Amino acid sequence: MKINGYYLDGQTSQRQAAFLKIDFNDKSRLKVSVKPLVDTSETEPEQTDDSEKTILFRELVISSRLGNTPREISFGNSELFVSEDNDSIDQMNEHFGNKNSFIHQLESKMTSVIVASALTVVIIWGLVVYGIPESAKFIANKMPTHLSEQFGSSLDILDKTVFDPSELDVERQTQIIVLMAPFLNQHQDLNPKINFRSGMKANALALPNGDIVFTDDFVKLVENDEQLLAVLFHELGHLKHKHLARRVLQDSMITLMVILITGDIDSIDLLTGIPTLILDLSYSREFEVEADTYALEQLHQANIPLERFSSVMQLLSDYYHDEIEEGDFASDIPNFLMTHPATKDRILMTEEFKAKLNE
Amino acid sequence: MESTLESETQPSQQVSSRQLGFEFKGDGMEYFKIWIVNVLLTIITLGIYSAWAKVRSNRYFYSNLYLDDSSFRYLAEPMTILKGRLIAVAALIVYSVVTAIAPMIGIVLLIALFFAIPYFINQSIAFNNRMSAYKNIQFRFSATYGEAFMVMYVWPIVGVLTLGILYPMALLKMHQYVVKNSSYGTTKFEYTATYKDYGMIFLMMIGIIIAAGVVIAVISFLIPALGLLSTILIMVMYIGIILYSIVAITNLFYHNLGLVEHRFKSTLTIMDLGKVMLINLFFTIITLGLYLPAAKVRMTKYMCSCLVMDAEGSLDDFAAAEKENVSALGEEFGQVFDFGI
Repeated sequence: MKINGYYLDGQTSQRQAAFLKIDFNDKSRLKVSVKPLVDTSETEPEQTDDSEKTILFRELVISSRLGNTPREISFGNSELFVSEDNDSIDQMNEHFGNKNSFIHQLESKMTSVIVASALTVVIIWGLVVYGIPESAKFIANKMPTHLSEQFGSSLDILDKTVFDPSELDVERQTQIIVLMAPFLNQHQDLNPKINFRSGMKANALALPNGDIVFTDDFVKLVENDEQLLAVLFHELGHLKHKHLARRVLQDSMITLMVILITGDIDSIDLLTGIPTLILDLSYSREFEVEADTYALEQLHQANIPLERFSSVMQLLSDYYHDEIEEGDFASDIPNFLMTHPATKDRILMTEEFKAKLNE
Repeated sequence: MESTLESETQPSQQVSSRQLGFEFKGDGMEYFKIWIVNVLLTIITLGIYSAWAKVRSNRYFYSNLYLDDSSFRYLAEPMTILKGRLIAVAALIVYSVVTAIAPMIGIVLLIALFFAIPYFINQSIAFNNRMSAYKNIQFRFSATYGEAFMVMYVWPIVGVLTLGILYPMALLKMHQYVVKNSSYGTTKFEYTATYKDYGMIFLMMIGIIIAAGVVIAVISFLIPALGLLSTILIMVMYIGIILYSIVAITNLFYHNLGLVEHRFKSTLTIMDLGKVMLINLFFTIITLGLYLPAAKVRMTKYMCSCLVMDAEGSLDDFAAAEKENVSALGEEFGQVFDFGI
């Protein structure tokens, strides 16, 4: 068998036509034949034979087959033989008892490629829907509290950056703290603590160490104390389910996954950033639903009408709707791009929860 | 081996100028097959296979790149890359844990990393060059720590301090650092671009921004109802600026690149590059990312089709450099800690 290609000595970039010659009776050696350079000297058109030498097969380093790319065969030193005759080289490998690349089999057969594509899609889907959220939940619950409190920012940092001291009168503040005290006692394992701040629009947030912040605008917005409690329960739900720690864990797992998949593709960062962003938002909405459910359960336990929850959500929604100038297309953002569930979904959820209780 | 390039030039051969086009012979479907197997095996092996995946992927792109009928070659061994990757990941874990437990020591590590980055950058380029070969001659890279420190930190800071006036200089210095310290075998690359060349590109970018800004301002002033239109215009301008900067800088780069008497020429155009990018973006989004490998092939094909080497005479006379060993640590550190140039 003869395999045509070219030869490079590794000292200069000059390339010479060459071929490998395999005698099927010889199980360990083959011959390399290199054509002498034609135009080196014009003095005599010497008809010298090709320089031929015998080499041992086991000294060869043969690159594994990869698509249509030329095969590179190193002679164990800097010499190199390159050939596009992939099939013959595979045949040579077989003759000398060398296995051909299993990976190439996978890459070249249509069935294995289809199976691989299907498996990849299923695995990634499974990871995104179950694997990542569940493992993040598991880790966050097993994690020592002092460690999970590290995730997310502390009130100190927020005070220095966004918040201003509260302008609510002390009387109102004390009144709210007294109102909430019994429920905070029920959640002592979460170490909750009520804080009032201004400097941000109507909002309430829970920090991983148990600090719950109500903004002045929010306290002024609510119509009654029971609405305040509904939101308190929602925030306690975030704490109870360790949402911040889980979100940080999930985000880093998604990033790792995206890097692993696209790692060898240096594409535009934007392109790899989009799936991460969409997944983060959808996880964030799941957390909101979890916190909403917790709030409804707590309201039910405390014998407070469940409508308090839906009415305060409606209030917040109207409040933010007024903030956004009319005609702005931000109000038409599709559901999957929102961090929070739509208000009508929340109201619907309250109704369903109520229906379930009545069963 | 010791003889230099000049003494080997054969006098009998007439020096003729040839235009040699770079050609990428890869195929989107073929690369998709390789890529999907890479992704699956990487997930199943919890990332271990990623080193093999990287080598197969790089080999595909190097071996399909042809110049003067010869292909390039990627030489790295997966085990070398795996070792570098494991060390880098271990370092990242140590760093994260230390930062969480003792922030003060974390800051010390961060400072140490700051000073180590130029060293890793040198190592990373050296590794990549050494693992690239054409006609069985490897590329090389050799730069001092000081040079790397200057282009990584000092020049960019000078660029910012001078309110951007010297920012083109920072980019020029970066390109000079990469090109002038690189060699093909024993032959060094040359770079002839000047501050003025880079400055013109930056001025042009500023010009586009001002012109587009005026147009957008006038439109939104005259017809306030078209608020959405100006948002779209701003996005178009943003994409236009990115396209212009890629095209202008790439073309400038190759125009000023030299290897002895051989010159290069790149003829990217904004329209064609924009077309390739849009097609890639569209298909990648509607296939939820499955088009990514084909997109990379399309982009590489286009970039290569615009690249030409003006060869003066034969390309057969380059000599190989001495053997040397560079580990993949710098390269993999760069990937894991997300720095690079």
